[in-house]
Amino acid sequence: MDPECAQLLPALCAALTDPRQPVADDTCLEKLLDWFKTLTEAGSSLQLLQDSPCLVELLLQVPKAPGLSPRVLAFSLRLAGLLAAQEDCFQFLQQGELLPGLFGEAGPLGGAAWTAPTVRSGWIQGLRSLAQHPSALHFLADLGALDTVVSLQGDSSLFVASAAGQLLAHLLGLSLRGQAEGSPGPQVCDWPASAQRIVGHIEESLCSPAAPRVTQALNVLTTTFGHCHQLWAQVLWARLSPLAACLLEKDPVPAAHSLVDLLLSAARSPALSSDRSRWETVAQALGRLSPAHAGPLALGLLTLQDCPQALSAQAFTVLLQPLACVLKAATQAPGPPGLPAGPEGDPAVADALLSSRSACVGLLCQTLAHLELLQPLPQRPAPWPQAPLLGAAVTVLRFCNGSAVPASGSDVGGRLCAILAGCVRVQRAALGFLGALSADTGPPELVTQVFAVLLDYLQSPDSSPTVLKKAFQATLRWLLSARTPPGCCDLDPPTQLLLRELLPVLQRRLCSPCWEVRDSGLEFLTQVVGCWAGQAGFRHALLASEVPQLAQQLLQDPESYVRASAVTAVGQLSSRGLPATPAGPEHPGGPQKSLLPELLHVLAADSEGFPRRAAMQVFTQWLRDGHAEVAEDTERFVARVLQAASRDLDWEVRAQGLELARVFLEQTLGQPGSRCPYAVAAPEAAAPGRVAQALRAACRVQLVEFAFRALFDYDRPVAQKSCDLLLFLRDQAAPWDSLQEARGSPDVASVEAALRRWRAGEQGQPLGPLEPEAVLAVLRSMDLEGLRGALAESSDHVERNPQSLLQDMLATVGILGDNEADCY
Amino acid sequence: MPEIRVTPLGAGQDVGRSCILVSIGGKNVMLDCGMHMGYNDDRRFPDFSYITRNGRLTDFLDCVIISHFHLDHCGALPYFSEMVGYDGPIYMTHPTQAICPILLEDYRKIAVDKKGEANFFTSQMIKDCMKKVVAVRLHQTVQVDEELQIKAYYAGHVLGAAMFQIKVGSESVVYTGDYNMTPDRHLGAAWIDKCRPNLLITESTYATTIRDSKRCRERDFLKKVHETVERGGKVLIPVFALGRAQELCILLETFWERMNLKAPIYFSTGLTEKANHYYKLFITWTNQKIRKTFVQRNMFEFKHIKAFDRAFADNPGPMVVFATPGMLHAGQSLQIFRKWAGNEKNMVIMPGYCVQGTVGHKILSGQRKLEMEGRQVLEIRMQVEYIQGLLPDAKKPRLLHGTLIMKDSNFRLVSSEQALKELGLAEHQLRFTCRVHLHDSRKEQETAARVYSHLKSLLKDHCVQHLPDGSVTVESILIQAAAHSEDPGTKVLLVSWTYQDEELGSYLTSLLKKGLPPAPSGGS
Repeated sequence: MDPECAQLLPALCAALTDPRQPVADDTCLEKLLDWFKTLTEAGSSLQLLQDSPCLVELLLQVPKAPGLSPRVLAFSLRLAGLLAAQEDCFQFLQQGELLPGLFGEAGPLGGAAWTAPTVRSGWIQGLRSLAQHPSALHFLADLGALDTVVSLQGDSSLFVASAAGQLLAHLLGLSLRGQAEGSPGPQVCDWPASAQRIVGHIEESLCSPAAPRVTQALNVLTTTFGHCHQLWAQVLWARLSPLAACLLEKDPVPAAHSLVDLLLSAARSPALSSDRSRWETVAQALGRLSPAHAGPLALGLLTLQDCPQALSAQAFTVLLQPLACVLKAATQAPGPPGLPAGPEGDPAVADALLSSRSACVGLLCQTLAHLELLQPLPQRPAPWPQAPLLGAAVTVLRFCNGSAVPASGSDVGGRLCAILAGCVRVQRAALGFLGALSADTGPPELVTQVFAVLLDYLQSPDSSPTVLKKAFQATLRWLLSARTPPGCCDLDPPTQLLLRELLPVLQRRLCSPCWEVRDSGLEFLTQVVGCWAGQAGFRHALLASEVPQLAQQLLQDPESYVRASAVTAVGQLSSRGLPATPAGPEHPGGPQKSLLPELLHVLAADSEGFPRRAAMQVFTQWLRDGHAEVAEDTERFVARVLQAASRDLDWEVRAQGLELARVFLEQTLGQPGSRCPYAVAAPEAAAPGRVAQALRAACRVQLVEFAFRALFDYDRPVAQKSCDLLLFLRDQAAPWDSLQEARGSPDVASVEAALRRWRAGEQGQPLGPLEPEAVLAVLRSMDLEGLRGALAESSDHVERNPQSLLQDMLATVGILGDNEADCY
Repeated sequence: MPEIRVTPLGAGQDVGRSCILVSIGGKNVMLDCGMHMGYNDDRRFPDFSYITRNGRLTDFLDCVIISHFHLDHCGALPYFSEMVGYDGPIYMTHPTQAICPILLEDYRKIAVDKKGEANFFTSQMIKDCMKKVVAVRLHQTVQVDEELQIKAYYAGHVLGAAMFQIKVGSESVVYTGDYNMTPDRHLGAAWIDKCRPNLLITESTYATTIRDSKRCRERDFLKKVHETVERGGKVLIPVFALGRAQELCILLETFWERMNLKAPIYFSTGLTEKANHYYKLFITWTNQKIRKTFVQRNMFEFKHIKAFDRAFADNPGPMVVFATPGMLHAGQSLQIFRKWAGNEKNMVIMPGYCVQGTVGHKILSGQRKLEMEGRQVLEIRMQVEYIQGLLPDAKKPRLLHGTLIMKDSNFRLVSSEQALKELGLAEHQLRFTCRVHLHDSRKEQETAARVYSHLKSLLKDHCVQHLPDGSVTVESILIQAAAHSEDPGTKVLLVSWTYQDEELGSYLTSLLKKGLPPAPSGGS
């Protein structure tokens, strides 16, 4: 603890124990605890207490002070726990009888303060921190704390109840770990008394007819198996799994969700290991639980690294059942019939699907989501039934848009038709899954059907904006999966057809009254052009369509998000030589209208930040790529863009301006990898010459002035970027230094004067023409490294340090009154 | 009785990060998804672990409803939808949908300023999140699915704020969010159908607080600004991007017009245009007066308030500047503050609450020497004022609350008077109060007597009485003199009046604030 804090702490401790002086802010005590936590983690708690007797005094006074705020009480309990986590400090506090005063009957436990959930929560959290060593266990036993923790599991506050369960699990682990001999014994009856007591409580709860008690016990066990040791995990599982099995016999299975969590937690722990007999309960659960609960269990098992093969086959069957049911219900189910879920299907699944609309929707969404998660995993079942899964996803989507015909005589089919028609949730889930399936190939006829159903969704006027977005994403994924190696322009006919058919759809979507749809359409266009601009057929079809013109028109969209996406899209089109405004029919072959002035206008005049940011990104990319419009006069381009960016009110535009400046500098300095005509012009020039040239160019385009001003920007990220840029410039210019020294000292007074003004926050006049020599001299004289270090700190690091916190808390003491009443 | 479960994932006993999970008739609805300004770590967002352990969020939750655009009600939304992974529908009103991204961008900027881009939502995430929003109209019954329906009602408070009724079969819940029963300068009062919800979840932070008269506070504010400007000082008012700052603008604009003041008023760069754009766009959401005036003159097209350029801060002479952010924790407002703090002629008016760890919090708690970056010490000589309850801020909205009546599972939002009548409460419980400090070393009774004779001589048309218990009444207005706890030379006059006597109450307070005429036997 630094001396300033040590000086402030006594006054604060005194204020905390004074009930007449309420604590300022609900976050202050939390932050104070954070600070103590870092102190105790870094050093000895005992030393801390010995150096700061005021803390001991605080812990002594708190239980005695009447009318103390529950927040201070809770804070003290948590602080005591934090300190007593180290055994020597625990002993020290015990000698002073401090801990029983806080955590025993003499403390808040027996008083009116106990009615406050904050205090109960503080008590539990304090004990949770404290319980780190065997002495703590004895202390808890002497205190009879276990009974209180057990009863707090049913607390009215969710957070208290949940913390009590966590503490119980922690205590069980601690009491077993605390065994001096190492192994706690092969039978529960050999375990320490506290562990036996907790296990007994769990057993009792598992047999209870009250579902909440069963849930509590299952949750404690789930936490326990999350962090347990092989030796006793197996003993515990052997003892308790029959009780879990008993729960499975009940109808309905109580606390099924928590039971699934427990089974998965046990399956991931060393409790089950390779002994097959131990997996029996899990296998039984897969068969007994309802499809809605069996699904998550099945997914969890399938993601395990070492699940027994038979069990994983069973789990996969469970997972596939709902889709098998769907496939069976449709006459036109495409692809090879059936999934490896058995031809008969599980009647429980059909029942679940038919029981109610929400059950059906819930089960299908869950199944599709689970399979989507499983698909990319290396441990997914092999062989992966790609074709039937594709068929199932397509069928679900067809049920949803009404194009599937139910199998004759199938109740399920008719009911599914009714339930799924227009169901947005299932549509979204199925499109997400369909997109994920693009990672594997499928039989051509099925891929054709996938494309057809995607087009149906993209075309349908009934598709909601969120469904359309998913449909665009899925389509893009399928298109990407059909990509051929670079240089090869031959696409398979279905993909070519899809690309062509997409354009009229896009055309319509770009005119949608929903901004979300126009925006998703533009994002899709940008990505498609990025991938397929080299494909002749697509280029031709795109240029023949109205899509590029529409994209350009959307630069005037009333919604700023759409304008931003339009900027990106037309920028991309232009980069790929697909102009949005080709020469008109009246001037065939005439010059194309330039896009640059339009985007510069967006940068200078758009009232919202998003389109201006997008314009900056396009410009930076153009500069990188050596875009024709940029290459015409790169310096003029950079100067115009930087001039607009430097005046921008949006910090991200200014930051992006610095990014563009960096690209320009790299290119003029001839950095490897740059493709700018500038760099090509003098690739062999001697380094000092190139530096001089680059510096002069940077001065001409007013890049240096922009960077210097940005160094003192109100917004820290901008200043940081500028500092990095100037450091780069200075370091790159190092070879030129010797040359400079020979020429004598340049006049830096005007630059330094301007810097002083900018540092003081003044705008001042433009700097005027700069001499590269003066710029370099100033750069060398500045402590840019120091500035970079300062800027790397959080903008509120001064206000956030512990000393500032203590000062704030002390300053607020006593003056709270009116403000507090009014603040909330 | 149907089971309705309510789980506060934030808020509850805590303030900020409003986020409540309601399970009703097998449906799970999240009400608001706010953040906590006081933390920079995980604690800034609600504890979603409770719902993430119930399986996939999108399957578990049927919908999210956002009541209004304040960050303590929507600040965690992009995190929740784009980083935690909720992919279902989000409902909010059209103005909320339009304004939310601006506030979220503001929040993002502050977060990036503090910690860099790491582990925080991006602009793209904000957009993707807003694309999941389904905008609703007031009184429109929205069918989320076959069984779940929601309906929005006008809540006042801020532009676009709504209360929601959530219905599954015959069970229903009403969630008020923050609401406002008294029309203010730009918004109307909350209104809801007469209904019988099984459960009502309402903002109650101020439910038991009796507030000073708003008019009093407004007058105080104008007076302070005016005095500073008159003596050639500069006034800095740190505000949040959007919200009731617009109300303050209307207040100053009207005052400037009335007093024919010439000192310039500036509003933080870029924000005026944005704010005005939305207020114009959603003019039907404002109060009747603004709507009516709009035909002749758009209230949000200010004559005196202009966009601020950072160069203006150095201009000589008086000026008033509204600058962001509201807690003086970074950016423009902090820079201007640093520039102006050393001059005692200047003033900073904090119109909102400031969390610990901000410069705003420090100066409000009376600290006058602040350590700034690089071990520099900034001495605060400018006046620091806190305008109580004039403006809510994004974290801790303050509002004049309506009164809630819930009787026989039948509840209505009614005016205070109606509530008094129906609940049989004593009337003094709902009075406006204002404290006036007077220099007077005599006893309280003598001060009261002087107040009585002063008012009696001034208010000839009113019934002024001196009651046996020492208090003075003017019509229904009650004035009591009390000793100051620390300064024996000062007496505190507690003036209180009913809502109906707002005009007279405010007038009397202003009279008393001017002081009493010198007494024959000694000065006050």
